[in-house]
Order: sequence, then structure tokens, then C-alpha cells
Amino acid sequence: MHIRLQEIIPTYFEKAQTTDSEIWGEKISFNKGEHIHIVAPSGSGKTSLIHFIYGLRKDYEGTISYLDENIKKFSLEKFSTFRQKNLSIVFQDLRLFTNQTVSNNIELKRQLNPYHPAEKIEEMAERLGIVNKLNRLASTCSYGEQQRIAIIRSLMQPFDFLLLDEPFSNLDENNRNKAFELINEECEVRNASMIFADLKELDFFKGERILKL
Amino acid sequence: MVQTILPLLNTSKNKISKWISYFGLGIGVVLLLSSMQMFLNINNLLKENNPRKDGFDFFSVTKVITNENMGKDNTFKDDELNELKNHPTVEDAAPLISNQYRVKASAGNIIPFSTDLFLESIDDAFIDTVPPGFKWEPGQTTVPIIFSSDFLELYNVFAPSQDLPQLSGKTISAVNIILEVYGATGVQNFAGNIVALSDRINSVIVPKSFMEWSNQTFGGVSKVNPSRVYIKTKDANNPQLISFLDSKKYHLNKDKTKFGRIKKVLQNIVSALGVFGILVIVLALILFSFYLQLMIAKSKENLQLLLTLGYSPDWLSKTVAKTWIPIYVFVVIAAVIITATMHYTFVKVSFVEGNDLSYFLHWSVLAIGLLLLALSIFTNYRLVKKELYRIV
Repeated sequence: MHIRLQEIIPTYFEKAQTTDSEIWGEKISFNKGEHIHIVAPSGSGKTSLIHFIYGLRKDYEGTISYLDENIKKFSLEKFSTFRQKNLSIVFQDLRLFTNQTVSNNIELKRQLNPYHPAEKIEEMAERLGIVNKLNRLASTCSYGEQQRIAIIRSLMQPFDFLLLDEPFSNLDENNRNKAFELINEECEVRNASMIFADLKELDFFKGERILKL
Repeated sequence: MVQTILPLLNTSKNKISKWISYFGLGIGVVLLLSSMQMFLNINNLLKENNPRKDGFDFFSVTKVITNENMGKDNTFKDDELNELKNHPTVEDAAPLISNQYRVKASAGNIIPFSTDLFLESIDDAFIDTVPPGFKWEPGQTTVPIIFSSDFLELYNVFAPSQDLPQLSGKTISAVNIILEVYGATGVQNFAGNIVALSDRINSVIVPKSFMEWSNQTFGGVSKVNPSRVYIKTKDANNPQLISFLDSKKYHLNKDKTKFGRIKKVLQNIVSALGVFGILVIVLALILFSFYLQLMIAKSKENLQLLLTLGYSPDWLSKTVAKTWIPIYVFVVIAAVIITATMHYTFVKVSFVEGNDLSYFLHWSVLAIGLLLLALSIFTNYRLVKKELYRIV
């Protein structure tokens, strides 16, 4: 699986806004296995880009393609197949079912196309320090805890690409390292790519492909 | 998997409209199914004495005999017959050919009875009761006869006063009738055998082949113009047909179509009831669709998130629609049971002896019940899917 971005620019952007960008208006290809770090200051359209790639929004010019197929022409049904098998995501705004328990939130994703057995949920929660929250409602968890829930949820399915939109913004260094370690392991097992978007360059991402938005 | 999805649906709102729609669906299905069953019952009950055949009315027309045309030729000529056949309201017309020679009938020694008789023949398609034995070939000495049931009734009225035995419809077929046919060459006897009674045709009917042969052999005529013509029509009460016949000064036997008319009125009433049932079902489904729309609107965020996470819209629609299968099955089964009970009661109290009404519902009624069930579940599935695509 590969993802191609061809000269994409949000329709609501001024041309001048995109001149310094290494992504907007450029031809870029993401291949399975390579990790990409997108460094994007506030207002540069980081979340928009992640949403464009994941297929949630279409208000851009240019073409995004999965396996050379323009995703603007995809049906919802076709997207669901890719989202079950090839693409997983951690949203910046997390998007949890707040009135459901933590374990239900994760299970809802796991049962869709199980990559791990159900016991793996507890194991991962243990590693990220939220195992005692599993039976609590997601709405009662702190934002940092919710971030870790969203991360575990994204790792429950098979994927070729993992889209991460500021996944560690509310985590302390210790938790950030633990979470990154887990994500890295899971990507390696699947030989999958990380597309990691953050405000500034992250120290543990050195040596990988870095693109400035 | 379903267990974890359902709590994400907000089903708590607008419960009343949901229950009203279930109730409405039940009422509608009962109305539709019971009217269907009644339609079939009426069809069955009014079958035996029914002058209609395959949905058509049959009646005879003759020319009106007036003082002016008395004694003249009042038979139908070929062009008049064709004009009748070609009239838009007439499906078909067939002449009643009568005998052109003298016939005397006697019943042998058992019933000392002898009378001059007339015979007629008509296309088999116009006779309501044609048994397989109603055939005659040259050389055959037995002639099958279809006898008017009205004539039998008449006979039974005067029989006691003449010291003759009364006869039932069944015993009459056992009476040996001797037909004495007088021709130019002398008298020939045939054995007459009544093979059936006809409610429709007021005559003594013999096979066409016998009539043609005997008219040629004994009467010496090959072409006979009929004085009576039978008409086959979709509706004997069609004003267009009646005014046409009046303009031609043809006389028609209206009595014969009365029964058909009653049946038609009854079937129209139950059909209207069935249409009303369909209307109620449609209204109930519309009401339920409002409930569904509202529920989906209330659960919009959760459903959107499920789709975002990769749930297939098709799978989601099926899963959501499936949750109503048990209640729909229950409603339709309850409606079928109510209909079956009503039908059973009808058969019990209708006092129709010897009818062939079954105590059970007709298979087509059950099939419609099943079809309605499938249709309701399918429309719900389509609606949920449509709504899901709308919220994306």
C-alpha cells in the first residue's frame, strides 16, 4: 500500500500561505514501512491534512490516492474497507464515545477487524498506566488518559499507515516515551508506516523522513 | 458485535410513535389479510350457482317479438351475429342452434311420460358444466344431454299431480330417456343420457356434432339461423352494452346476471377494505420511518464516529434494521393469528352447508403476510442506510 499526494492545497488557503511548505502543492508519496514526521506550526493546516488523507474532508485541490485510486471517488463503503485494514488514526480531538466505558471504546474498534485478542487491551492499558480506568466512563478520564485510550484503540486493528495528529500533547515525558515505544513496536510488527504530525520536531523522531508543512 | 453498537443508539425518544406504528401495522395487516381471505371466501361460496365463468358474464339475447314482427323470420343472420361478436363490450357470442326436425322424448316404462321436445346446441365454452362425456360421434346411439336445472325444477313441480316421481339432480342422470327422431326417411331412436345440469342455459343441450349431423340427416338442412344467441362479456351490466342491445331491439335475460352482480358488489367492498388496509400499513411504516429518522438524528454523533472508525454503512444499516425484526415478526404473526381466528369464526357461523371452505387461511394470504414482513424489514434497512449517508 502507498499513499500519494499530488499538488494538494486546501481550497480555503491563499497561494502565498503554501510557498514554503514541503507538502502543500507538492508531489509526495508515502510508502509502507517508512515513518514520516510532519512538523507543522499552528494554523498551517496540520489537522486538515490528516483529515484529507483519512478521507474525512474533500475541500482541497489536487489528488490524494490510495494505491493510485483517487479517494475523492471512494464510496463510504470503500473507505470503511480501507479503515478496517489499511489505515488507523489517532485524532487530535480524540473522538471517543464519552458515554461508554474505556474498554468498550477500545473493544468497538477491536471487534471491527481484530488484530489482537481481547486480552491485549488490558496488557496495553497496563503498559500505558490506565488499566484501572478500563471500566470507567471515558468522560470521567482526564485528557491525558483519553489520549492513551485513543492510542490503544488505534492499535487494535491491522494497518499499513497509522495517522497520528499530536497524539502526545497532554502526556508527560515518561508517558510519551512509553506510548511511542508501544506505537513503534506495533508498527514494526505490521511493517507499517507512521505519519506523525506535531507542532515541533520531536527528539525521538531523529533520522526519519521529516516534512515541514 | 451488535451488543456494543446498540447502546450508541438513542432509542429513548418518541417511544409513543413507535408503539402506535407497531399497532397500526398490526391493524393494517389484519385488514389486508382478512379482506383477502374474505375475497377468496366469497369466490368459493358463490361458485356453485355462479353464472359467471372465468370472470365473465353469460346471458342469452333474442329478438323482441312484437305484433309487427310476429310470424316473420326473427332469427339472427350472419352479419347480425358478427356485429354482436365485434361489439367492444362483447368478448364472444355463440348461437344456440335448434333442431330442424321433430323429436319426442319418453322415459321408458319406469316413468310413463312422453313429450315433444326441442334440442339445442352451443359451443362448449359457453356451457357452465361440461363433463368429459359430453361428446357424440356419428354411429353412436347414445346422446349425452345437458339439461337446464330450471326445467328440472319445473318438472318436479308438476310431477306429483301427474303421478310421476320427483327427481333429484343426481337421480336424473340414471333415467333412461328415449329420443324418437322423426325424419323424411322414418323414425330413429336414440338413448338420451343426462350428463349434467346447467344453471346458465335454459335448454336441452346436445353436442354440436350431433345437432349438425341430425339437422342434415333428418331435417335436410345444413345451415340454421339461430333465434337465440349467447353473449360472453366482462360485465353484463355495462350501460354501453345494454344500450346497444336496446337499440337493436334485442331482449336480454337480466335475471341471470343478478348473482354475479351481488358477488361483484361484495368483492368490491372487501377489495376496498383491503386497499384501506394497505393504506394503514403505509401510514404505519411512514410513522415508523419518522421515529427512525429522529432516532438517527439523535444518535448522529455516535453513528458518525462509528463510520469514521471504519464501520461499513451497509453493515451498520443491516445491524440497526435487524433489531426490529423480532417485533415485526411478532406483529405480523399476531395479525395472522387474528385473521385466522376471524376466518375460522366466519366458516363456523356462515351456515353454508356443503361448502368447500377450509378452516385454515389460504396459502396466498400467508404468503402475503410473509411478503409484508420482508417488505417492512427491507424498507427499514433502506431508510436507515439512506439516513446514515445523509449524516456523513
